[in-house]
Amino acid sequence: MNIKVGVFFGGRSVEHEISVISALQAINAFDKVKYTIVPIYITKKGVWYSGDALLDVENYRDTDQLLNQCKEVYMAPNYGDYNLYKKKSCLFGSNVLTSLDVVLPVLHGTNGEDGTFQGLMELIGIPYVGCNPVSSANGMDKIYMKMILKESNVPVIDYVWFTNRDWFTKKEAFIQRVETELGYPIIVKPANLGSSVGISTGHDREGFIKAVELAERFADRILVEKMVVNLKEINCSVLGDYAENQASVCEEPVRSGDILSYEDKYMSSGGGKSSNGMQSTKRRLPADLPQEVTEKIQFLASETFRVLSSNGVARIDFIIDESDNMVYVNEINTIPGSLSFYLWEASGIAFDKLMDKLIKLALKRDREVRLKTFSYDQNIFSLKGGSKGGKLGSKR
Amino acid sequence: MDSLNLALNILCVFSTFLYLLVTLRYDLQMIQQNSYRNKRYLKWLKLGVSTRRLSINFVLFFIARFFIHLIAVKAVISGVSIIGIIVELRKKYKKKLVFTPRAIRLYATSILISLLLFTGVFVATKDINFSLIIILAINALSPLVLMVANIINSPMERAINRWYYNDAKRILNQNRDIIIIGITGSYGKTSTKHYLHRILSEKYNVLMTPGSYNTTLGVIRTIRENLKPYHEVFIVEMGAKQPGDIKEICDLVHPTIGILTSVGEQHLESFKTVSNVQRTKFELIDSLPKDGLAVLNLDFEYVASRVVENTSNVKYYSASDKSADYYLDNINYSNMGSNFSIEGEGVVSESLFTQIVGSHNLSNILAGSIVARELEVPVNSIQYAVSHIEQVEHRLNIRKTSGGITIIDDAFNSNPSGAKMALDVLGRFETGKRIIVTPGLIELGDKQVEYNTNFGAQIATSADYVIVVGSYNRDAIMQGLLSTPFDKTKIYQATSFTDAISHLGGVLKSGDIVLYENDLPDTFK
Repeated sequence: MNIKVGVFFGGRSVEHEISVISALQAINAFDKVKYTIVPIYITKKGVWYSGDALLDVENYRDTDQLLNQCKEVYMAPNYGDYNLYKKKSCLFGSNVLTSLDVVLPVLHGTNGEDGTFQGLMELIGIPYVGCNPVSSANGMDKIYMKMILKESNVPVIDYVWFTNRDWFTKKEAFIQRVETELGYPIIVKPANLGSSVGISTGHDREGFIKAVELAERFADRILVEKMVVNLKEINCSVLGDYAENQASVCEEPVRSGDILSYEDKYMSSGGGKSSNGMQSTKRRLPADLPQEVTEKIQFLASETFRVLSSNGVARIDFIIDESDNMVYVNEINTIPGSLSFYLWEASGIAFDKLMDKLIKLALKRDREVRLKTFSYDQNIFSLKGGSKGGKLGSKR
Repeated sequence: MDSLNLALNILCVFSTFLYLLVTLRYDLQMIQQNSYRNKRYLKWLKLGVSTRRLSINFVLFFIARFFIHLIAVKAVISGVSIIGIIVELRKKYKKKLVFTPRAIRLYATSILISLLLFTGVFVATKDINFSLIIILAINALSPLVLMVANIINSPMERAINRWYYNDAKRILNQNRDIIIIGITGSYGKTSTKHYLHRILSEKYNVLMTPGSYNTTLGVIRTIRENLKPYHEVFIVEMGAKQPGDIKEICDLVHPTIGILTSVGEQHLESFKTVSNVQRTKFELIDSLPKDGLAVLNLDFEYVASRVVENTSNVKYYSASDKSADYYLDNINYSNMGSNFSIEGEGVVSESLFTQIVGSHNLSNILAGSIVARELEVPVNSIQYAVSHIEQVEHRLNIRKTSGGITIIDDAFNSNPSGAKMALDVLGRFETGKRIIVTPGLIELGDKQVEYNTNFGAQIATSADYVIVVGSYNRDAIMQGLLSTPFDKTKIYQATSFTDAISHLGGVLKSGDIVLYENDLPDTFK
């Protein structure tokens, strides 16, 4: 009996296409002797489809034709209902397309990596791979993530944050603060978007204001960070859960501008649509680092993963200030591009084994959650009124 | 006059027939609680619990038989029927009728029989009065109708069960790597199942038969509804009401590990002798393969004395006996729980803490951790799991209410040695009045009186206040209690559980401890 894994990808996110590539890579990697894969594609409008046509990346060139070959599906939010339902049911017969055992979300960015999708999985009570809603949300939100890491003594680059409305009314005060607390150059980011979108740098007051105006278009909350000028970027992946986890070898992505751009990340090899996702970014693997720096980064990666109560596979991105060799955690990706499989292959764990481990972790968390008490069968309303009923508890 | 007569006839037919439906519903509920077995049901009928109901229905029949031609009698019969319907529908049962597909089939067949008889007679005789008498006759003999329906349905039920059985077997065969663990015993099997599940969950995806689903049908249902492809261990609780029951479950699931927690004097009404119980319980151990693992409780004479030959790996455990492969030592109870260690020759000693009290319970934890060790769960994971075990509801489950009352809930299926342990726990409290609410022990065959008399005497040494519920064991318990110098004014004889609870409300003070020992199902009320 194979384990039926529902792989969700696409989604209402600027990283929609990357997600498709990451998911197809993961689907390919699964050992088909043990697993049966059900692909579920979420369109940019947020509608779910399933069908075998989703398995070929070429089909995504013409989305309308692709969706014609698929069935629109949904899951009901009822606890314990693991069925995938067809939206249009036949006149006779069941509208159940199939029943899932485990869900693997390969959704990058908004509405997938930020805890929203995970919330639905929690309601349904189905085992799923990766972070739970709280960890996902904290990992996605750059401001909360930095607050938590700072509180837990994990080094992060100095920052200031504000909301759009505060910026509108108290712009001068924030400019003052940024200039005295951080100083130029700075880097401005929308709080809750992944994949470098909306991020730009400011080398003076004018540039700073422009950078905020760009970021505002993507989010209500803005993060301003001191910019490290002579930097080296290092990525390290962590696999496991809060109790037990391991860090991968480190990589150094190679960039073309101030920051690793969307184009650098996803379009560098050959460009355009034949992209191979995060796997194809130019990089040095393993990164050329002294042993003690590698160990420090691996330790901090694991610590970041633990402090944020992460689960599954995550990639933690670091910045090394080459002027003083300080190491900072820049961000965590709780559903990293290509699921960071290339880092794990380089660490001695093949892609199919990585998928095995992810499914095991999902089942382990499911077990642990089930061992906790969430509700009592006893109906408090059914107890007799007055202190007598209360005293005697549920006995009738 | 004619139209009045017609109206009355229609009313009478409707009300008596509806009353018959309600009567059959009650009988269905009772035969369900007797596992749909005519023999057990008949035996239960002989206990006389429903004699009053049957006699009312017989009187109704005789009145009809002789006076049905009188209009007033028809009105009375209709009235009594309607009252009967209302009374029955308003009645609250502790163990409700569950309308399972099988129950619905049985109900349908019994209604069909009644309808056929009634319409058959009416069509043949065209005599409405005679037909009415027939309805009331069926009503008076309703248990018989239900048993006949049960016989008629039995070939169909067997075929349906066979299909489910084969389907469960097919599902299990698809999951060849799964480790199957059987647990049986006269007492302690449900607790052991829960403890083992908690400990093994540290390392494995574990499925267990839920609640007290411990029959072949319960196991089949668990496999068909809950077994997932990722489950690595399946724990099967195996209950037996008669010889062969456990073998039947083993033939379905083929366990490789078996735990036998106890062999004692339970369900003696169907087993007759303890050695029959022993033989039945050992059906689990006898079904294990050569490379299987048998885990046996040395503390029960009928477990220790039986030679096990089919399996090479046999581990005996004990709460105190140091000749066992594994035994408990350094037991220390506190109001937080129990500290203890697991020892044995060549065994890596392991000290543990649990919130659970009572030596039988610790012994059940021991059985679970032996299996966990064999399945290579790390020692510190076992320790963690054991410290997080929560007591199963209604099985010596201690909780405090906001009013400062301590409740010891041991309401499920009491047996003599379990009851003694519960009394020991009650006896150790010193915060207030120690109160016991109990209807006594059941299903003990011809030792029923003897055990309940002993139980009464034991109560006297541990409790300060006794509420005896119902009449089933009342005399035996009272005899035991009164053989000691126990204060008679501290005994209350309650007619029902509801009566016991309302009396309890008047005597309870903050700091008091209440032990609920056994909770009779409706068939014994």
